[in-house]
Amino acid sequence: MNINKSNPLLLHPLNKWMKKKKWSWFPHQIETFHHVRTGSDVVVFAPTGAGKTLTGFINPIDDLIKLKKFKGLHTLYISPLKSLANDIVRNLEKPIKELDLNISFQVRTGDTTPYKKQKQKQKPPNILITTPESLALLNSYENAKEFFHNLKYIIIDEIHTFLDNKRADLLSLNIERLQTFSPHLQRIGLSATLKNKQDAKKWLCRKKPKIISYENSVLPKIKILESKERIPWSGHMATYSINEIYKEIMKSKLTIIFVNTRAQAEYMFKNLWLINKKKLKIAVHHGSLEKNLRLKVENNLSKGLVDCVVATSSLELGLDYGDVEKIIQVGAPKGINRLLQRVGRSNHNLNTPSKAILVPTNRFEFIEAKAAIEEIKKNNLDEIDLKEGSFDVVAQHIFATACAGQFDINDLYKEIIKAYPYKKLKLNDFKQLINLIQDGGYVLKNYDQFKRIFQLRENKNIYKLVNRRETRKYRMNVGTIIENPMLKIKLGTKTLGNIEEVFIQNLSQGDSFIFAGQVLEFQSMKNNLVQVKRSKSLISKIPSYSGGRMPLSTNLANSVRALLSKSNMWDLYPDQITEWLKRQKNISTIPKKDEYLVEQFPRKKNFYTVIYAFAGWHANQTLGFLLLRGFKEFDYKPLGFVANDYAIVLWSLKEVKEIKTILNIGLLDKHLDNYLEETSIVKRLFRDNAIISCLIERRLPGMEKTGKQVLFSSDLIYTVLKKNEPDHILLQSSYEDAKKNMIDYDRLREILKKIDKKIILKKLTSISPLAVPIILEINRENLSKKETDEYILEDLENEILKEANVLSIN
Amino acid sequence: MYYQLINFGDEEFYAFSNKSLYWKRLNTLIVSDLHIGKSISYAKNKQFLPPYDTKEILNELFFSLDKIKPSNLIIVGDLLHDIFSTLSLKDQDHKNLSQYMENTDFIWIKGNHDKNIQIEGFKNFTNYEIDKFLFTHIPIETPLFQICGHYHPKVKIVHRGKTIFKTSFVHNEKIFILPSFGILTGGLDINSKEISNVLGKKNLSIYPVGQDKVYKL
Repeated sequence: MNINKSNPLLLHPLNKWMKKKKWSWFPHQIETFHHVRTGSDVVVFAPTGAGKTLTGFINPIDDLIKLKKFKGLHTLYISPLKSLANDIVRNLEKPIKELDLNISFQVRTGDTTPYKKQKQKQKPPNILITTPESLALLNSYENAKEFFHNLKYIIIDEIHTFLDNKRADLLSLNIERLQTFSPHLQRIGLSATLKNKQDAKKWLCRKKPKIISYENSVLPKIKILESKERIPWSGHMATYSINEIYKEIMKSKLTIIFVNTRAQAEYMFKNLWLINKKKLKIAVHHGSLEKNLRLKVENNLSKGLVDCVVATSSLELGLDYGDVEKIIQVGAPKGINRLLQRVGRSNHNLNTPSKAILVPTNRFEFIEAKAAIEEIKKNNLDEIDLKEGSFDVVAQHIFATACAGQFDINDLYKEIIKAYPYKKLKLNDFKQLINLIQDGGYVLKNYDQFKRIFQLRENKNIYKLVNRRETRKYRMNVGTIIENPMLKIKLGTKTLGNIEEVFIQNLSQGDSFIFAGQVLEFQSMKNNLVQVKRSKSLISKIPSYSGGRMPLSTNLANSVRALLSKSNMWDLYPDQITEWLKRQKNISTIPKKDEYLVEQFPRKKNFYTVIYAFAGWHANQTLGFLLLRGFKEFDYKPLGFVANDYAIVLWSLKEVKEIKTILNIGLLDKHLDNYLEETSIVKRLFRDNAIISCLIERRLPGMEKTGKQVLFSSDLIYTVLKKNEPDHILLQSSYEDAKKNMIDYDRLREILKKIDKKIILKKLTSISPLAVPIILEINRENLSKKETDEYILEDLENEILKEANVLSIN
Repeated sequence: MYYQLINFGDEEFYAFSNKSLYWKRLNTLIVSDLHIGKSISYAKNKQFLPPYDTKEILNELFFSLDKIKPSNLIIVGDLLHDIFSTLSLKDQDHKNLSQYMENTDFIWIKGNHDKNIQIEGFKNFTNYEIDKFLFTHIPIETPLFQICGHYHPKVKIVHRGKTIFKTSFVHNEKIFILPSFGILTGGLDINSKEISNVLGKKNLSIYPVGQDKVYKL
């Protein structure tokens, strides 16, 4: 279709404003206007700086002007972040105010005051900008239908961040609810560029689905830091290159240094300060810092008042920081999309390339960085893996539905299966989730008189909330983001942020640690507050944060394997890398891109097996565990294993002779259940499931429950349930979550299906160069939690007391 | 069954990993804080915990009674979680309890959770004296040695950089506190103010409960 000839946007109310600003319409804006106007649901893919926000509002503004003095809610805008929602308001304000358009718009998030929220309910604005959680809450009010019945458009911003997690599940269910309230509702998705655009379209669009795409022809300029220092074999802290990184910061007006973990952020920040002779203004930004501290950094960043910010993914999304000149990525890029998102944070001008420098922290990461640059040149993005929706989110949605009023379960089921993640939700599972909300859904019916929702006697399909008080509980538990038990850190009366309880437990009074870029001394812990004072100690710990460890993407892993095997490229690498790979080729071999190298060698008194599976950390970790079991079965007396993104190493007392017999798809079927049983993965996910499905509360009204207690009681519940009702829907749900997220089941399955024909087995007399990095990572024991506990007790007992009178009767 | 020998008040007691304590000389088994029916009590606030706690607690208790065949069973308080908890006792449970009562004398010392509740066939006491020992839910002012419950003690162990919490038996020279025999019951750190006020901080004997044996610190 040729819609360029007559641009309908020239007659748009915003055209005048565009002309005044000397801006012209982008082709994707023209296309969007056309398709939405003719009744399509659309997803628009465009890079940052291509007027995405405006694109979403083109049709709503046009429609609102035509409708003249429209009363009530017309357009809903969903943003993934609260801070972004505020930014959208500022952007929308400009044209609407300057053109004096008669359109009202407001923001509604967790930060909006109750007074303002009340006002919004009585007199809704035309355009409401909100988050998925606030939308879920709005839908749980008794007047939700009335509130939304005239809704014309819903705009989902940054939809690529909403496709593969529980938040997406929640949002998808609530969009379907809106569609029920307002059948003429149209959907507009805005996304960064994506590989599987069709999936995003299927997820969102129902009416005449359309993909609108605008690709940026200006590629970012990404290079690897040229270091005179030796790239270390192993490790993740980039200490070797700190001086060179500092020089790079000096060269640019404003730099963001992205790292992969909060611990790395603190460490990098500390090291930069130690060499900050020029007194550059350097700040740190990560998700555990107190909101006010983060806002201050963000503010300084947008005003250009700092020279450099060290950040984690906390700065990946969000405001446009126009003045950022350069991005430095320290550590493995992990995935193409992620790297592009980060690189895109610099220089929001479409016609000039973004600039980025990659700093590998070890040798494998050098290859990974190189591979990532190649893939970006080819525009070969990662696929976002759309998963089936989680049960616990449905349970929460059922509760929300009951809060809004009585409902027919058949209608609700029909509505839910319209949502893309729940297309395959079985009626039977759905009914179990109804029971879960009703009374916990246990086989043993003990709670008949205490139900939360009940069936009407005259119509068994209609359910109703027992008591309006329950709505309050729902509202306190809404959402799918469950934090680990955290404690607040107080310096004097000032709150610095949150720290994991587990970390604090391991500290004694007087120990120092680094947080928010300061060296702090642990003084005391009272009422969930960690009191600290400033410290001058040179030896300090860095808090580690569990979770959030991203595995290497399949796409990038394949690219790393391909690149490794291209020996004609090696001479272009730094000498140390070239030498490393050449020696590997002489001593062992370099696998071809579809081969899986397995090396075996004796070392000290043990026997080592290294498998280069390139399956990413989660899947490699799982594989390590399964192999440990397999080795036990063959009586090789395995002692432990360590996995990273690239490889797994196992060590055993005896030589492993039958590796090909063990390493295949059979391994997965045979030992997976045992694995899930032994590790605390499912148990941990059960806690999330129990909270999201509102089986247990995040906090009890009037009763300050610490995170630890919630964790504790969910562990007890898990143990009791597992023993008495192993098929309970929440156990199933936790198990599925583990398969989907924590152990990368599908990815591992794909690899194991074909691995036995592709194994290159090398029996060596000693360690190979390629194996050095992973061997250096061997430092932890891999015992299950249960075993660890017993081991600690036993060890302690043996160590301290010899007089223990432990005897046995019978 | 493994046991840990504990000397308290010049008597020998045997601590088992199922959180019961055995006084061999008087063939007396002691348990505390069973909190039977905690699940049902939570259910009335719409917190639907798995309703299997009563069954499991009773099974464990009956297992011990079968194994040890004590002349006396002393429950040092909080047998039940609250008045709703009696709902979780089925007819069969009552029958079983009466059967065990034929050979074992059940001594139910009332705790703060169950002080106003009656169960048929159970003898109630606010506290109970044997020789120089006083059995009571919460310790009182007395020259006697006291064996109590109420606090659900657990100990924090930091060893080789790892921290774990373990349910524990604990005593000082005069006061002995049993762990909770319940399964949905949480615990309180031995270093907490509540327990320190009772036991003090020094000269504590602590016995963490492991998978199938009781340790000694």
